[in-house]
Amino acid sequence: MRQLAGSLVLLSAAAPALFGQAASGTVDADFFETKIRPLFAEKCYACHTDKRMGGLQLDSREHFLKGGKSGPIAVPGDPGASLLVKALRYDANPKMPPTGKLAAGQIAAVEAWVKAGAVWPNDEKAAVKPPPYRITAEQHAFWSFEPVKPVLPPDVQDTRWARTEIDHFIAAKLEARGLHPVRGASRHTLIRRASYDLTGLPPSAEEVDAFEHDRSPEAFAKVIDRLLASPRYGERWGRLWLDVARYSDDRLDSERDNPYPASFRYRDWVIQAIQNDMPYDVFVKAQIAGDRLPDHEKYEAGLGFYALSPEMQDDRVDATARGFLGLTVACAQCHDHKYDPIPTSDFYSLLGIFRNTELHEIALAPKEAVDAYKAQDALVHKKEKELKEYVGAQSAQLGLILASETARYLLASGQPSNHPSNEDGDPIAGPALDRETLARWTKYLAEPEKQHPFLKDWYAASTQDQRAKAAAEFQTQVLAVMTEKAHIDDENHVRLGLDPTREDLSNANLVSLDRAKFGLWEDLLGDHGVLHYGGTDKEETKIDRFLSGVWLDHLNRLRAQLAALKKELPPAYPVLQTITDKEKPEEQHIWIRGDQNNPGDLAPPHFLAILSRAGPEPFARGKERLELAEAIASPANPLTARVMVNRVWQQHFGYGLVRTPSNFGSQGDRPSHPELLDYLADRFVREGWSLKKLHREIMLTATYESSDESSDRNYAEDPDNRLLWRYNRRRLDAESLRDSILFVSGKLDLKAGGPAVRINGENNRRTVYAFISRRQLDPMLALFDFPNPNNTSEQRLQTTVPLQKLFFMNSPFVIDQSTALMARVAAIAWNDDERITATYRFVLQREPTPEERRLAHEFVAGNAGAWPEYGQVMLSSNEFTYIN
Amino acid sequence: MIFAPSRRQILRTMGTGFGMAGLAGILSAQSDGTKALPGADAPMTPKAPHFKASAKHIIFLFLNGGPSQVDTFDPKPMLQKYTGQPIPSGNLKTERKTGNLLGSPFAFRRCGKSGIEVSEIFPKLGDSIDDVCVIRSMYTDIPNHEPSLFLMNCGHRVPGRPSMGSWLTYGLGSENQNLPGYVVLCPGYPIVGAQLWSSTFLPAIYQGTYIPNSEKTPDKLISYIRNPSTPLPEQRRALDLLRQLNLIEEQREGEDSQLESSIQAAEIAYRMQSEAPEVFDITKEPEAVRGRYGDHDFGRGCLMARRLVERGVRMVQVYYGNGQPWDNHDDILIHRKLAHDVDGPIAALLADLKASGLLKETLIVIGGEFGRTPVVEVSGLVKVQNGRDHNSHGFSTLLAGGGVKGGMTYGNTDEFGFKAVENPVHIHDLHATVLHALGMDHTKLTYRYSGRDFRLTDVSGNVVQDVLA
Repeated sequence: MRQLAGSLVLLSAAAPALFGQAASGTVDADFFETKIRPLFAEKCYACHTDKRMGGLQLDSREHFLKGGKSGPIAVPGDPGASLLVKALRYDANPKMPPTGKLAAGQIAAVEAWVKAGAVWPNDEKAAVKPPPYRITAEQHAFWSFEPVKPVLPPDVQDTRWARTEIDHFIAAKLEARGLHPVRGASRHTLIRRASYDLTGLPPSAEEVDAFEHDRSPEAFAKVIDRLLASPRYGERWGRLWLDVARYSDDRLDSERDNPYPASFRYRDWVIQAIQNDMPYDVFVKAQIAGDRLPDHEKYEAGLGFYALSPEMQDDRVDATARGFLGLTVACAQCHDHKYDPIPTSDFYSLLGIFRNTELHEIALAPKEAVDAYKAQDALVHKKEKELKEYVGAQSAQLGLILASETARYLLASGQPSNHPSNEDGDPIAGPALDRETLARWTKYLAEPEKQHPFLKDWYAASTQDQRAKAAAEFQTQVLAVMTEKAHIDDENHVRLGLDPTREDLSNANLVSLDRAKFGLWEDLLGDHGVLHYGGTDKEETKIDRFLSGVWLDHLNRLRAQLAALKKELPPAYPVLQTITDKEKPEEQHIWIRGDQNNPGDLAPPHFLAILSRAGPEPFARGKERLELAEAIASPANPLTARVMVNRVWQQHFGYGLVRTPSNFGSQGDRPSHPELLDYLADRFVREGWSLKKLHREIMLTATYESSDESSDRNYAEDPDNRLLWRYNRRRLDAESLRDSILFVSGKLDLKAGGPAVRINGENNRRTVYAFISRRQLDPMLALFDFPNPNNTSEQRLQTTVPLQKLFFMNSPFVIDQSTALMARVAAIAWNDDERITATYRFVLQREPTPEERRLAHEFVAGNAGAWPEYGQVMLSSNEFTYIN
Repeated sequence: MIFAPSRRQILRTMGTGFGMAGLAGILSAQSDGTKALPGADAPMTPKAPHFKASAKHIIFLFLNGGPSQVDTFDPKPMLQKYTGQPIPSGNLKTERKTGNLLGSPFAFRRCGKSGIEVSEIFPKLGDSIDDVCVIRSMYTDIPNHEPSLFLMNCGHRVPGRPSMGSWLTYGLGSENQNLPGYVVLCPGYPIVGAQLWSSTFLPAIYQGTYIPNSEKTPDKLISYIRNPSTPLPEQRRALDLLRQLNLIEEQREGEDSQLESSIQAAEIAYRMQSEAPEVFDITKEPEAVRGRYGDHDFGRGCLMARRLVERGVRMVQVYYGNGQPWDNHDDILIHRKLAHDVDGPIAALLADLKASGLLKETLIVIGGEFGRTPVVEVSGLVKVQNGRDHNSHGFSTLLAGGGVKGGMTYGNTDEFGFKAVENPVHIHDLHATVLHALGMDHTKLTYRYSGRDFRLTDVSGNVVQDVLA
């Protein structure tokens, strides 16, 4: 094969000298890169890369020169003799591309390229390959990639405070800096904190009383066990995971609401799994490969993690890597990760696994029921189609009939509407005109601004003769346009074939009426046209009065049949939204610089290189997802357990030991207490990946029981409280806030599970059951920092803004709940003093102080109407809306 | 998962560029004389820019759907001459199938002293063109609405990044503490919707406050701005009680910036109840003024935008309409009606701001998410072939006001107006330029999230110095 020089002459016969570039006479090999390769990529790669249709691959110089089954496809310098050019011109078989002839300019470009020698510069591929990716020893030794090791708690001086092993880790760091933990929290504060932490709700005043009076050493352990057993626990901690899983009840559809049919089953599965303390390793595996586990019926719902993901494959890699592993693998999409040892091949390896899955619905009904529904549904659709086609055909026929009387309608339109000729006979010779159609013409003609010029003569006509002539000419025009439209529709039908997809439509090269003629056609026969009867859903029966005899009987029979079929249609069966593997998996290449049209080396499915001891082994064919799940949920994986215990720690203390909970890479935070993190991760795995045991271990510590009071000395040393010398005060999150208001007003509806509900109306369900929208998040949730469900979320922000205060001051929700709260108070209190006490016990689970009582009396004195406002003040108070 | 940034953390996450200027801004007293709020807890307090700004406010008039450059601000004689013929080199890749060249149905005329050619469908804006810089060489990445809307609004083609208004209010705060710092006006929603003004990982206070300006009752424009039953004096009494109870709590629990800011936020909310409805009440404007803006959504939106920046709001975005009205695949003649709706209001806005002197410190941006093809769309998704497909390769965006040279064009598309070929300006470059006009170095306006410093322009963006005065 001969090698051509880089500089070519592009012949201006093929490409008229309109472009400066062409006119200047010479182009170099850039011509190939800018005009030819992109054209091949766009038009040919779908079939002529890995699929090698006709034996031809157009993705490299070498493959191009080799040609297809019938040999080389181009004769350099002779376009006319080149199979490539003939195929593109549609001169010979095969005609390429089969989806439609290329634009003349594109064909001309290929011709010019062949004519000039068909230069295909040496590919990058053939050039020197970059050295293979290597992970350095230093990278391997990064803290989060080191195996988790069992750690013994350090010795400390203050063993009276540090009563548990966790406390030892905390105390050791404090003592090393010469800091002292603050005093412990009051029992009132402690039970409130624990109740919010585990259930997202405050305790009742009675529960506080009981705890305050329980002097046994196990008093707090009993509280924790009670809370962990409460169904409210699964709702609270399930929601925590749903943040990570970017759970949503709808898709981010740009034009309309597009809810998932059964997203709630994933949400409910998560809540139940957490409630039942499903081991976390199993919980992880279920979400990645639940369909491949023994007892898969118990786990398949977990696949909602992917089935409900934003429909972008790279999101799936991102949510998998950040959510389970705390790694930003998605940063390696266009280039090797800039900071972490994650080569691009890792990204595409995982991407390939998810690209070879597809959405899948599992019917939650007996096969007979499903089959019966599907069969009946098919009959309904068939009948609907039949009816639509019949009405369409009649409507088209009618349009033609009415159009052939256009001139007479025009002439009659000027007549007064009560003129007898409109009904039956006739200065306008011929059979009677249709009254409604005439009215439509009259209305149409009354508005002279038209999107076509064909009525100009009509509007200009002043004499009867001129009018008659203009009307006749207009009628001729109308009929001609209708004939032309019919031809064009036929032609386009041939071009499109049967049942074109949206993609087919988008790529089709069709013909159309010109703008003016189309305007005329649309005015008369479009959906709102003068001559349009029937066809559209709303006007389905408009056609009826034009039909009679067997024609009308047939129409009515179709309608009756359809109604009967619909009546027999059973209610839709419930489904589970999951994913499944595609029947024919495709090989995944690295996409160079993230460009799908620029495939590089193969990226066979394997686990991340940095987490594979002896370099990544390819996953077994057909078991890719399961092996991925097992690799992630393995006790030997240094990240999975660390990442999860850190998330749990963050939820209990406001911050994780690592303050970037979804980034354990080099750009993430370093753990404040690395030994404690390993201690917890090791214990977590050895205790059977049990979240409930982990909560218990974390909460039954002096560290957790600290108060939130400040200390100048500690503050000066450690203002961010990284060493946990005190507890971190927090604002209630959106769910806790709404649920708590409903809880103290006595209106909270504790019904669990089921389809998502809109919370902006009468609904008083727990907020975890609210409709979560990617398209338009509920405004109350958004106002209080609910995370954006378009991406996996690692932590909640906590803002304090005036718009939130307006919500407390003026929202119907707070006003209504305050009214309900005060009604609840009034039912058990006989005077102002008792009311004040009762309000404090409901809202803050304590007695008011004398000063608080005095202020309340002042506020309501002589003004019984002020009680609901008093309730509102209490619901807005910092003490109610913050956890201390 | 809860995260309450301390003042120290906020300063750290704000990135190196903030330095002491940022700190000084945060700690300084508010311009209206109310008590300065402490650091992280007063996120909307005005903050000093990185360097001297030429603009303090920005109004972004968003013609959503993709206005056609060759029918508006980018005249192409070659396109007119060769209308109906194929482009010799073949059409560039756009979303759908396109055919031959389609000349503009509109005439262009030379306008103003600068003689910039503007389409006849913008007669009034044409008369104001000496105040405008027309960038004719804009380009974006993908010829689809969603990624382009995200890129133009949030600097990234997929959701998850903060919007430009969020970045600006995060960096600069706002000058009026009784109004939101970033307001978005749209009758209905543009496609994609609220994601386009989301703050995502920036604190929620920086998200745009959405105002459905098709609603004509001012009280209904901001959620919960009025109490349905309690009169203001009574509410004042309740607020005083709340403050006293909160102070008791603070004495008991110890001083705390969170509790303190919560008390302050309630006071601001109380004042907002008076100020916010007033600003949206355009019946307060003389009838002659309202007449110049016109009695339709976009005109009212422009008038509200003017009133908002007059009161110190940092950024106002006015969307033309619900959905994507400028998306004229079928028939480019529809542009005439769309242009008619926006021509008068834009000219009125420019004139009013100029008369009051505010134009000097207000940057106006006018444009859509991408342009349209100079060739006709022939796909099966159109009913008639008189329109244009999406075009990511080249389009026009207009700048006016604070810090921008008026009466100039910048860059060029090719002979037919398909692709930006001379001085191409990517959306990242536009963002860098806008931030620059507002006194911000786009490489230094960063926020540390999940272990990485993020910025509006990601890893790209060059300030287009030539358009700056």
